[in-house]
Amino acid sequence: MNATPTPTPRWIYALQIASVGMIWVFVLSISVWILHLLRLSYRLNDVPSASFAISIVAIPVFVTGASVLTYVFVGLQRGASTEEEP
Amino acid sequence: MARWGMTIDLDRCTGCGGCMAACHTENNLAAVGATETFEEDRAFHWLKLLPEVSGAGAEAEVRYIPHMCVQCDNPPCALVCPVHATYLSEEGIVAQIYSRCIGCRYCMAACPFNAKVFNWYEPERPGEIEQAVNPDVSLRPKGVVEKCTFCHHRIVRAREDAASAGRALADGDVTTACAESCPARAITFGDLDDPESRVRRLSRSPRAFRQHADLGTSPKVFYLGEKE
Amino acid sequence: MSAGYDDQDLELLRPIEEAGSGFRVMTTLMLMIILGGWVIFSRQILEGLGVTGLNQPVGWGFYIVNFVFFIGISHAGTLISAILRLSKAEWRRPITRMAEVITVVVLAIGGFHPVLDMGRPERMLNIFTAGRLQSPLLWDVSSISAYFMASTVYLYIPMIPDIALLRDRGVRPRWLYNFLSWGWQGTQRQKAVLDRAVGILMILVIPIAVSVHTVISYIFAMTLQPSWHSTIFGPYFVVGAIFSGIAALMLVMIALRKIFHLERYLKEIHFAHLSKLLLVMSLLWFYFTFSEYLTAFFGHEPSEMRVFLYKFTGPYAPFFWGMVACNFVIPVIFLSFRRLRTIPGIVIASTAIVIGMWLERLNIVVPSLANPRLPFPTGFYVPSLVEWAMFVGAMATFILGFVLFARFFPLISVWEIREGRHEGVSETVERLESYLPDPPENLAVRSAHGEGEAT
Repeated sequence: MNATPTPTPRWIYALQIASVGMIWVFVLSISVWILHLLRLSYRLNDVPSASFAISIVAIPVFVTGASVLTYVFVGLQRGASTEEEP
Repeated sequence: MARWGMTIDLDRCTGCGGCMAACHTENNLAAVGATETFEEDRAFHWLKLLPEVSGAGAEAEVRYIPHMCVQCDNPPCALVCPVHATYLSEEGIVAQIYSRCIGCRYCMAACPFNAKVFNWYEPERPGEIEQAVNPDVSLRPKGVVEKCTFCHHRIVRAREDAASAGRALADGDVTTACAESCPARAITFGDLDDPESRVRRLSRSPRAFRQHADLGTSPKVFYLGEKE
Repeated sequence: MSAGYDDQDLELLRPIEEAGSGFRVMTTLMLMIILGGWVIFSRQILEGLGVTGLNQPVGWGFYIVNFVFFIGISHAGTLISAILRLSKAEWRRPITRMAEVITVVVLAIGGFHPVLDMGRPERMLNIFTAGRLQSPLLWDVSSISAYFMASTVYLYIPMIPDIALLRDRGVRPRWLYNFLSWGWQGTQRQKAVLDRAVGILMILVIPIAVSVHTVISYIFAMTLQPSWHSTIFGPYFVVGAIFSGIAALMLVMIALRKIFHLERYLKEIHFAHLSKLLLVMSLLWFYFTFSEYLTAFFGHEPSEMRVFLYKFTGPYAPFFWGMVACNFVIPVIFLSFRRLRTIPGIVIASTAIVIGMWLERLNIVVPSLANPRLPFPTGFYVPSLVEWAMFVGAMATFILGFVLFARFFPLISVWEIREGRHEGVSETVERLESYLPDPPENLAVRSAHGEGEAT
């Protein structure tokens, strides 16, 4: 494209990977939390069916969000490879 | 397992308010003061007398309905609590865990009977009230919801007494502070599942009715008298 | 695509490259207002919720009203921009970014409000350790956090090419743009990845956005309280949310157009399209309100009627009729006639709608609580200084969010405008041609050769 693309310094690249990792940590901890609440509702004889319904909706949404981000990150890294097209 | 319930005979009730006072001292309710009560609309009672006016003008008649948490078998408040701070206990009492309550007041908004109260400030017990605190009942901090417990501490104590005497809990062993203090003996407390109990017999009287039974929450406080 | 970029869109980057003192003044001012709000709020932390105007029957007030209101506004963004992108509305290009920023900023503000409302905010963690997914409040926690995540991602991903542009132009702070641009170089493969990701997100975001306000309405609808316990509350809240969201979006667009001189980008035509959408939402809002209150009135249930009369003729009549005027009468007058549908007219209509939708939330939360079923005295609610301070603070936070965003990122998507210039026009022509009926020769050939073998 324009001028010369600025090369990404190493530490920034590491930071980018770490941020994508953080998103997964966030999403996985939300999933673990929801599963914990599900287990709690079983143990306390609460209403597991309601909790189950919420968790099968909520967890995939979070995972999808994180997957899209990861897909973009990986895709951008791969797409930026040396094989520059005309 | 007992299923605690109560009957209140409205034809006997004189509206003296003794039950309210007894409830306050028994359960260590905070004294919120006149300003809070009247100017801020923050009356603080587990049990209060609701005036019910029928007729108008010179024909008007007022009767008082002692109103506390009606201990629903299907409590709308317990359904919505986000942290399991209010729940239906095994003996049918809607319990409140003060140390877990986050003070969101969702249960108050969901209760069709407005039976719950909130500690808007740090509870105060001025003067001698501080010395007269009932050691059996925990003191609530600010910012939590509280409600009538059917004098749960009395049930625990009566059960211990009966156990140490080596007998089962009998009808009349437990009574709540409001029932005990009532000079007209309008309030009866007991086990609704005990076939011998007075409260069971009274709750099946043709005069018995429940507040807003149409909502399907199945309260365990029965009123005796003419319905509305 | 060809290298080199049109210089005519670079004025969009000027607020970032030449950030003046205006930015610093605004940030300081807003931070001071927010700080002032927190200072006043500290009384509530020290003394308890008693410092608010909340009372025994009316246990929920400003905090919950503002919670519902702000989350409603947040539907401006992501939902509008997702729908416009999905329907390939070409006029969306200068609008989507602003709409998405509104969503993220307002969602953070709104989502925080229930914490202000708690009697014991330090026990927040109980929701994580001992939460009950059965409670509608937990549905809110999960759907709002899902929406926040999805809308942040949806704001961020289409922003990557613009961030890379800033990086390549050496704008400071360099490390920030370098970090956020994720190695974007604008290659064909990268563009394909971005397009696909935006394509997935815009579809993902719509059901989440709808679910968020549905679930907020469930907080009320799941209880048995008169005029809350209603099956249409979900759609009613969603419609109201989109309605207030578009109005807020228009106000933001008009304000930013004035401040950053974006008249070349945000043209009359954009406002004309959006105001027609707003008019439709106003009518839809009226339809929902009408059917909601008609059912209550026709059934004539005593506890329902007590709330009904409280709103129609009782203490809340000014707020109720004010709401009807703001949400229906004023917008319909100003948006129906072309002569009134000017920028000032749109400002009046949108301001009215934002106020009216706030009043609607007030009319939903307070009257039901103020009218208990049993013969309790009817309640009334007057917010205290603390609640007003937090309301003003929330507004200041909203402005601060926009100021900060405008300082570091372009408010109008540069690459999407450019894409519109280069590819959008030819693409639209192509698309339009594909909608037109096939030419008759084709038909003749097809019927002659049987199926499939089109020339």
